[in-house]
Amino acid sequence: MTCTLGEVKQRADFIVYWGGNPAECHPRHFTKYTIMQKSKFLPRGRKDRTMVLVDIRETKSAKAADIFMQVKPGKDFELITILRALIKHQHVGDDQIAETGVTREMLDDLVQRMKSCKFGCFFFGMGLSMTRGKHMNSAALLTLAAEMNAFTKFVAMPMRGHGNVTGADVIMRWQTGYPFGITFNRGYPRYNPGEFSTVDVLVRGDCDAAFIIGADPGATMPQPAIDHLKRIPTICLDPHITHTSKLARVHITTAAQGISAPGTAYRMDELPLPLKPALKSPYPTDEDVVRRINKAISEKPFWLPEGSQPQMITAQV
Amino acid sequence: MTINLHLKQAPSVPLEAEVLSPNVMAELSNSEIRALVVYHGKRQVPLEEFFDVDGERSYELIIHGELNKVRLIGRAMSRGTVTVHGSVGMHLGALMTGGRIEVHGDASDWIGAEMKNGFIHVHGNAGGQIGAAYRGALAGMKNGTIIVDGSAGLEVGMRMRRGTIILGGPAKDFTGLQMKGGTIILQSGAEIRTGAWMNRGTIISMKPLQMMPTFAYASDFNPTFTNVYAKQLKPHGIDLPFAGSDGTYQRFAGDLSVPGKGEILVWQPA
Amino acid sequence: MLRITGGKIYDPANGIDGHVRDICINDRGKIVDSVDGGRTINASGMIIFPGGVDVHTHVAGGAMNFARAMTPEDHRRTQAFIRTQSRRSGLGGMAPTTFATGYLYAGMGFTTVNEAAVPVLSARHTHEELADIPIVDKATLTLMANNEIMLDQMEAGEYERAKNVVAWYIWAAKSYGVKAVNPGGVAAWKWGSDAKQMTDSIDGYNSLTPGKIVTMLATICDDLGLPHPMHLHCNNLGAPGNISTTLDTLKHLEGHRAHIAHSQYHAYGGDDWDTMCSATAQLAEYFNTHPNITTDAGAVLFGDTVTITADGPWQHLLYKLTGRKWGNLDVENETGCGIVPYTYRPSNLVNAVQWASGLELMLLIKNPWQVFLSTDHPNGGCFWRYPEIIQLLMCADFRNECIAKLPDKIKGRITLPEIDREYTLYEVATSMSAGPARALGLTQKGNLGVGCDADIVIYEEEDDVARMFSHPRYVIKAGEVVIEDGEIRETPEGREFLVKPSYAPETDEFMRPRFEDCYTMSFENYPVEIERIENPNMQECINANED
Repeated sequence: MTCTLGEVKQRADFIVYWGGNPAECHPRHFTKYTIMQKSKFLPRGRKDRTMVLVDIRETKSAKAADIFMQVKPGKDFELITILRALIKHQHVGDDQIAETGVTREMLDDLVQRMKSCKFGCFFFGMGLSMTRGKHMNSAALLTLAAEMNAFTKFVAMPMRGHGNVTGADVIMRWQTGYPFGITFNRGYPRYNPGEFSTVDVLVRGDCDAAFIIGADPGATMPQPAIDHLKRIPTICLDPHITHTSKLARVHITTAAQGISAPGTAYRMDELPLPLKPALKSPYPTDEDVVRRINKAISEKPFWLPEGSQPQMITAQV
Repeated sequence: MTINLHLKQAPSVPLEAEVLSPNVMAELSNSEIRALVVYHGKRQVPLEEFFDVDGERSYELIIHGELNKVRLIGRAMSRGTVTVHGSVGMHLGALMTGGRIEVHGDASDWIGAEMKNGFIHVHGNAGGQIGAAYRGALAGMKNGTIIVDGSAGLEVGMRMRRGTIILGGPAKDFTGLQMKGGTIILQSGAEIRTGAWMNRGTIISMKPLQMMPTFAYASDFNPTFTNVYAKQLKPHGIDLPFAGSDGTYQRFAGDLSVPGKGEILVWQPA
Repeated sequence: MLRITGGKIYDPANGIDGHVRDICINDRGKIVDSVDGGRTINASGMIIFPGGVDVHTHVAGGAMNFARAMTPEDHRRTQAFIRTQSRRSGLGGMAPTTFATGYLYAGMGFTTVNEAAVPVLSARHTHEELADIPIVDKATLTLMANNEIMLDQMEAGEYERAKNVVAWYIWAAKSYGVKAVNPGGVAAWKWGSDAKQMTDSIDGYNSLTPGKIVTMLATICDDLGLPHPMHLHCNNLGAPGNISTTLDTLKHLEGHRAHIAHSQYHAYGGDDWDTMCSATAQLAEYFNTHPNITTDAGAVLFGDTVTITADGPWQHLLYKLTGRKWGNLDVENETGCGIVPYTYRPSNLVNAVQWASGLELMLLIKNPWQVFLSTDHPNGGCFWRYPEIIQLLMCADFRNECIAKLPDKIKGRITLPEIDREYTLYEVATSMSAGPARALGLTQKGNLGVGCDADIVIYEEEDDVARMFSHPRYVIKAGEVVIEDGEIRETPEGREFLVKPSYAPETDEFMRPRFEDCYTMSFENYPVEIERIENPNMQECINANED
């Protein structure tokens, strides 16, 4: 259940930010896409829209919100699940509601507003997707949005972090069918997040080399993952010196994407935007480097011995 | 007559060895078994590079060694036995349709995932996603029994449709997530979000649970089926209480968010 | 250089019906009168068709990519393409990956595909994906019928401006034509409602109706001289009794060229799901008397698939019917799309009616130049199952065997059992290649005449029709042998067909403020640069006044 940001700008009269702090993390989100915009359908802009913020603490974003709901830490999943029950007129006890840190009155009001709006939108941030429960917290909100369509138009969208994460996701999907967490060890893509996702592979020490492009896992990943990166040959492509480039055996300095290297970036709603470089860089682009590496590899013997083919793993069931 | 396999050297990256299955080896000679292909990362190597192989042509496999990085053992097997002395990696017995796997050691994630029938007993601890559905699939295990003496990880029995999972130790979050049927027995309880979004099926816990807010207390009772279960579990050395004189089960129904007809029974000793 | 000798040629564009003749191909991938030297393929006893042309499919873009993400369980069970030295890895199945899409199409003898639904905003994405689909040539259609800037002009009666807007968008999206989906209905869906009939009012507009949009857009496509006429997905898709909407829509198209997409989904009688029946006879009758209109079947095959269309309201209905996964993606100011995995079952009466209706249309519309092979991939079934449909069309006995497996209650709801027509090879060649190529206005395709593209498929003649059509002996794309004996030999890049309809120079300035009002992307960043298209191939607009 998703849409492009333009849809939100044009139509969304009910916006919920869940576990995110757009005022500080995505400062242009309010003004450019969501609550501050006027449109043909919402001519009075901010006045025509209701904004709800759900978070574990009162951040700066709360000032911008019409309604602030403070959920107890680690209770997002429970709260969303309660909402799923309430929209279907299932009875949830007062004590159970109280455990999440909000009151029945607040939830009844929220449900009533959700059902009576014309176009509702959930944005969810790392406060939801990276806390206990992780992907299930996001799944909960996506499910709630899907179920809300029995009453009115509702969508949900993640607030993606920095860099062109969405772009990587989009391209992996069209080339392999999967967004991330993919292995090619049998010559075709297989998917299992938790097994093949980067952080899990590194933490378990399942790989014997690493090639890192457009990311700084040395700064963000758990210590066992960083330790493994230090143990194995790590190659890093980055315009800057980063935690990862410092621990890598090889750091290739590349041109900064969007500033001195062209390409396409995918916005958090998967809309592609052209990157038009303003400057020239003495360094090669990431693409150049990868193409040159590819070319060098293609001059080596093919990875499969002549005449052999890996076995497809599904073929046996 | 058995086939004995000893791990010679620990693989440096995961070793995918779905050939470690009675179905594959039952009709093969010793040299054919040694030549079976396993995947060390992306390299295809003969089984004998990692294992010493004794015996041939048997439905009984005995594997020795620390196999943490050896994945897919007993995958899709339909009969025979696999006994492991040591620990095993992911996907043990996934998609199996029959036969028996016993592990004297720890197991990793996804054991018995989407299995259709058969029996798995892990004497040590296990990882997450036991008997679960793989990502995107609508149903997890469809029948069979999985017993883990020790603890378990996340999402045990996720989307399972039938069959039984019994955990001796505690489970982590999301036990019985989106369950569609079958039974999970928790002898040492679980962390949070047990039974979340369950549709049907039964979770029985011997220890108090932190319930999801979307489960409603229904009644205290001693259902007759616990009696039947107890008899079935006895041979596996598991005591499931059922007599009214020993205590009662608190019954919770949910998950209301679905809305589902699942039940969680929590034992209250008298 | 290549010479193909001794094969029986089926080339409907030149009226050749099974004559033995040699075909010569020059180094530029064109068919010529004669060549000196080069390879010779002895095709004695074999059948030669022009390469297949898919007039309506969904193989790339945001929606397809969303569908891929939603169906990991299908990817696991499907055919995998293992990387070799000549081929990249990929996955087939309901929503194949890009490389696999090219291999699967080529492997079935198809060499041109038309991606029938591209929202302008994600056109850049679609073109990037298309560049990763090897072997086949591609064209794209831009979704227009719910574009609010255009609708505003129509509402205001500003025909010329609306025409300029359409032309501007086609060029901005670097596409080949106009696709209209559920005119007015998708705009209404964005508010959670729908516009089902030609005379319904549309939420947010005063006088505009779906009927007016249909007529005006068809006129615009004609006046712009687009090689492919308006490609229309009618309102009220999939609903029992929607035949009245479809016929009404067709009346709004009198005097215009048009292509009606996946008409199977628009040919139902009855009042509700319980009484739903096939109304294909009425629709076929209309086509039989109106040669200005072409269509593709949008046939349904039993089995798993994922439905994906810009028709959000229908998708939500399906989601409610199946209770399965649902994805929906709305694109600002233009269109939306929905995605639901679905299984068509012979035991399900509605599905059985759908299955029969698709075949009925193919068989009841007399002229194979008017009705083309399609499943509206992936909606009715996956494109790589086309050979199964060909078998159903060519073998009445096989068809009757399949009908016998349907529930008894199907009697009286379908006309398929009464039809004994069997397609000839010549008709199959028309329906899968020559016809769609002509409808698309691609004169160099679907034609084995001198000067045309050497896209050729060679089959070993055998009784098992489905096998024959799914396993061509050779597939030649632009003169290059890409498939030989079931193996992928070469994976050349395909081309993309584009048109640049003319529009008033002031359209840019007209669009700018409206654009910046509606969209969240800067105006300059919006049009796709021609440099971003791999191997663009410009097609001429036809001057309508000269015909």
